[in-house]
Amino acid sequence: MEFIIRHKSVVAFISFTLFCIISLSIQSSTLVLTLEGVISAITMPFQKAYDGAQGGVSRLWAGFTELTEVRDELKKTRANLQKYESMAGEMSELKRENDRLRELLGMKERVEYASIPATIISKDPDNWFRTIIINKGSGDGIKVNMPVIAYQGGQKAVVGTVIEVRGSISRIAPIISPTVRIGVKLQESRFPGLLCGYSGNSNLCKMDYISRAAYIRFNDMVITSGQGGVFPPGLLVGTVIKSYSLESSAYQRAIIKPVIDYNLVEDVFVIKKDLEKDLFEIFDEDKEKEKEQ
Amino acid sequence: MILSYIYTALIILISLLVQGHSSFDVVRIAGVKPDLMFIAIVYLSYCFGSFYGEVTAFVSGLLHDAVSNSPLGLLTFPKVAVAFVVGMFGRSLFKNNILTTSLLLFAASLVKGFLTLFLCYVFHEASASSILSIILPESFYNALLAPPLFFIFDKIFERELEREGYM
Repeated sequence: MEFIIRHKSVVAFISFTLFCIISLSIQSSTLVLTLEGVISAITMPFQKAYDGAQGGVSRLWAGFTELTEVRDELKKTRANLQKYESMAGEMSELKRENDRLRELLGMKERVEYASIPATIISKDPDNWFRTIIINKGSGDGIKVNMPVIAYQGGQKAVVGTVIEVRGSISRIAPIISPTVRIGVKLQESRFPGLLCGYSGNSNLCKMDYISRAAYIRFNDMVITSGQGGVFPPGLLVGTVIKSYSLESSAYQRAIIKPVIDYNLVEDVFVIKKDLEKDLFEIFDEDKEKEKEQ
Repeated sequence: MILSYIYTALIILISLLVQGHSSFDVVRIAGVKPDLMFIAIVYLSYCFGSFYGEVTAFVSGLLHDAVSNSPLGLLTFPKVAVAFVVGMFGRSLFKNNILTTSLLLFAASLVKGFLTLFLCYVFHEASASSILSIILPESFYNALLAPPLFFIFDKIFERELEREGYM
């Protein structure tokens, strides 16, 4: 006992190291996940309280400083509203025409999904991981793999996908994270590709597996292709800022600047869309085949 | 000593909340943000010794892992290891002034970065490009912030350090 007290820092170091190594070795076990959940539950109220307090102070400060700006914006918004109101009638006519033509061509109807608005309460505190935590969870109907979008600069675009859901919070992996992969295509030329984060701490993405036949231009828009079953097709992702052919590959690569700036995004919308059922069936069939072998 | 524990808990919690808040992204330089919690851990290990630093590092590391998307232990172990080394040898190698404080934080951040990279390589996903894109910029950033933060911490813990005979 005396030995332990005398060398307590060495004993503590060995114990903590052992704990970390064991925990990392069995990271997917229920015990570790429960422990992580418990610690996360302890910090969550503080995160929410801090976010609330910070938001309150910002709003109070904004009340004093932004009054003139708000007045100018109100004028602009009123002018825009009049413009959009006149466009609404035109749009509904176009929609009807679009629906009729789709029906004539025998195309599938575009599905509209409901969405859940949420606020970002925290981001990954470390530089090694890039995730976002929002204030809505399983209690609000959010499920893993649901796509997340946001509005920025008047544009609706992809933010990422839900990777973890707890009672009242969820974790989102943004598209700039190298672990997220999305099926995308170039809006104009329709050439498909696979999008993922460019590097650990960059705010850019890379689009791989683009055919060498594709002519890629600077500022070409990239949209979701709908393949993969997570994202609905046609959602805006970003713009091409650079493209090059890979020497060792039969494909081209494009560097994409996402429409949504990860550092500035504050409010998001989680699209209530489950993974497509036929994909689940394929996975289940594969698993069964593996078991049989 | 009880006051030291309270101050430590408050500093760790506040740094975790500030670091994790979305508005903190504004201070990103070269794509990285500073690790305030780590600077606090190095300070505590340097001033209060190895054991105090290790326990603080372990608890704050677990909190960090729970809030982050990392597997439990991945961000904890590098902090504990650095706290142990700084607590053991920090005072004999580095005197408390601006230059040495920055040097201490730079060296400690490098050790933490390489240990994290190694653990990512073994237990998660790793890329050697992280040395240039994360480890080096973060080390510089931490080293830059160390002197003012050490000054603030000195003021907070002044009476406790005197009472315990660390000063």
